[in-house]
Amino acid sequence: MTFARASLYAFVVLAVVSWGYILLATDSGASDVVSVKTWSNAGNFVRQLSGVDSPARPAYLEADRWLATGRLALNTLAMSVLAIVLTGLAVLPTFLPGARNISNGALGGAPSRSGAFLYHAVRLAFTLTRAVPELVWAMVIIFFLSPGILPGAVALAVHNYGVVGRLSAEVVENLEPGPARALRAAGASNLQMLLYSMFPQALPHFLTYLLYRWEVIIRTTVVVGFVSAGGLGREFRLSLSFFHYTDLALLIMWYLILVVAVDLLSAWLRRVVTRGR
Amino acid sequence: MGRRELRLLESRRLLTLLLAGVFLWSLSSVDWKGPLIHTGGVGAFWNFLSSLFPPDLSPGFLRLALTASWQTLAYAVAGITLAVLIGFPLGVVASGSVPGSPRTGLGLAVAVRFILAAMRSIHELVWAVLFVAAFGLSSLTVILALALPYAGILGRIYSELFSQVPEEPLRSLRASGASPLRVLLYGRLPMALPDLLGYTFYRLECAIRSAAIMSFVGIRGLGFEIQLSLNDLLFGQVWTLLLFMVGMVVVVDLWSTRVRRSLVS
Repeated sequence: MTFARASLYAFVVLAVVSWGYILLATDSGASDVVSVKTWSNAGNFVRQLSGVDSPARPAYLEADRWLATGRLALNTLAMSVLAIVLTGLAVLPTFLPGARNISNGALGGAPSRSGAFLYHAVRLAFTLTRAVPELVWAMVIIFFLSPGILPGAVALAVHNYGVVGRLSAEVVENLEPGPARALRAAGASNLQMLLYSMFPQALPHFLTYLLYRWEVIIRTTVVVGFVSAGGLGREFRLSLSFFHYTDLALLIMWYLILVVAVDLLSAWLRRVVTRGR
Repeated sequence: MGRRELRLLESRRLLTLLLAGVFLWSLSSVDWKGPLIHTGGVGAFWNFLSSLFPPDLSPGFLRLALTASWQTLAYAVAGITLAVLIGFPLGVVASGSVPGSPRTGLGLAVAVRFILAAMRSIHELVWAVLFVAAFGLSSLTVILALALPYAGILGRIYSELFSQVPEEPLRSLRASGASPLRVLLYGRLPMALPDLLGYTFYRLECAIRSAAIMSFVGIRGLGFEIQLSLNDLLFGQVWTLLLFMVGMVVVVDLWSTRVRRSLVS
């Protein structure tokens, strides 16, 4: 408990220093909180989103605007699917070597130098990809790939590779060693042991994490689209800079529809994955 | 194999086919006709990779990277503290353990759960873009944008932790005549506290990443400097900043892992 308590105190000090820095050394806008102008501006923004003051019909009441932006929403959904599949394909062959109990031979078999090297290489890849946020990956990747949904999907996949890979490797490290040892005792080779005991045991967890991350990814597609110019994100940015606020409201509606749909779908799929165990 | 399991197997097979179809559809929405890679994209890629050896390690730039890291950390910590302040009371209400009549408690819990879900359904940077359009750019605006989705996540997890507290100690508190408020304050909250703390520390790591990308609306920090260096094609500087980012995340990750481990034992 002592380390946790010391950490709590350390965090409180850090919080005080951080807030002090933000209020004193940055343009905090603390005085704007009480100013009438700020709040009337905010009210104006909401009114512009709803389009009540404008003589034109707001975009979200026009069927053809819904159809036109619906295509972008589908593109965004495709970006998220592509991202999650790329993540899965990249994690699948690497999460077993990334687990300590497999690389160090704790389940039988001699610890090998190449196993240890592979373990550290995979873990380093997990850490590097995970630590950098999706948007920064997108800003880098857009230098190489043509704008569209592909660079966005790749950026999302690179970050999520580290997240899902690490979680899946930790699942393998916490697996019951029994089935693997039993297979080994029955004369299974290393590869057979991995394929028939560790892999099937870890698979449902891996799929569950992947589906959880899909929920995060669909929220982030718009953000990545800001720079990779794919789907709703690009249009979101354009509408904002051209002051087409009712279009912006329509795009937010599509965004929320996508988020809710993916949340429901992912919850259902996770139930299917874990059922019957 | 029973009949039910057989049906499950079949429906799984069907589902796999369906998901494969969805994947093919997603591939079809990529524009394959145009070039996938920029002209000169391959060269730029190798250029980017080779700039890692070595990154820009000049003292002046290291100082700049350190300042940027501190700015990002300050935003992350401020955002998390605000998120805890918003998420904790909402989490208590959402767990339905607020003293009072059970029916109003349940109604409140459902309403608050909906609010929490709404807060976390929008990405922090989307909140930030909207808030900057509404309130103007300032650090408090951005911190609020960061705190909202985090409060939504923390509130939900807190409420789950509150409801998972073992019932026996609470029952004995009630039996000894403690009021519902006392049961909440002296039973439920302290028992959930270790898990609560562990999870909040874990979220701090994510907040660092979120704070870094707030550069997109014009906030200083690692993301901001990365953007500037990328615009000038100074990939060596980009690598230095990326390594600072990785270092900060690794340190916070190690810290939070040790906190969680010490809470378990």
